[in-house]
Amino acid sequence: MSAPERKMARRLRVSGILIILGLLVEAASLIRIHPLSFLSFMFIGGGLLIAGVLTYLISLISVAHPPPPEKLS
Amino acid sequence: MAIVPGPTTLLYLLIAVSILMIAFLIARPSLTANRGGKEIAFVVLFLLPVVVASMGAAEHMRRSEETQFCLSCHIMAPYGKSLRIDDATYIPAAHFQNARIPRDQACYTCHTDYVMYGTIGAKLRGMRHVYVQYLGKATTPLHLYTPFNNRECLHCHEGARSFEEGAVHMAVMPDIKSNQISCVSSGCHDSVHNASHVDEMKLWQEPK
Repeated sequence: MSAPERKMARRLRVSGILIILGLLVEAASLIRIHPLSFLSFMFIGGGLLIAGVLTYLISLISVAHPPPPEKLS
Repeated sequence: MAIVPGPTTLLYLLIAVSILMIAFLIARPSLTANRGGKEIAFVVLFLLPVVVASMGAAEHMRRSEETQFCLSCHIMAPYGKSLRIDDATYIPAAHFQNARIPRDQACYTCHTDYVMYGTIGAKLRGMRHVYVQYLGKATTPLHLYTPFNNRECLHCHEGARSFEEGAVHMAVMPDIKSNQISCVSSGCHDSVHNASHVDEMKLWQEPK
């Protein structure tokens, strides 16, 4: 695995973990009907989901990929 | 009879599927090396979270309109109790007990604003309530931020025969409709929640 691929894989892991945490918070917030559930969904769950998705999107544009090998004529 | 899953069940299912797919991607990031894997990663790490978050937000918004949601704060308990006062002159109680408003959305039905973006305004007011409850100082008896607008009553009552043809209403109809005279002003429908005295009053027991 090349260095950019390792970097990409690491960022995907971080992104995935953040999104899973966000989804778990969202699932927990649905257990009770209460204003604090709403707030935890919005600020904690939403924050983690946004951070995870942004990490993924940033990984797409920031990791430099080597140019594809030129075709042999 | 077919069992149709509710929105919460569907949301839980979607959350579980998303978590499983993301966990698989975390365990095998090399899957994203080819084009197909990249497309799956885009769905799993972008589209699914956005869809799940949107559905979650919609569900929380729906729940915030429920009577149970409003009454989950301790300070609101007497107001919830006042919906069961056994006296037809008490406006909220009469509306609640006679199912003139949906019982599971009793607070929201009368306290939202029936204007464009009124629902958003009601939600923002709700956020203010939460701020005052947890970070400010809520003192009883509670007061509305602005006087109760007749528009909220007229949303249902305007055009109803019993309202339009009532002798008292007819005498002051322009003032009622222009909000010059409040529906809950003294001498009219002035028995509202009366939360500070609710413990001394006889309450209606809903038949099971």
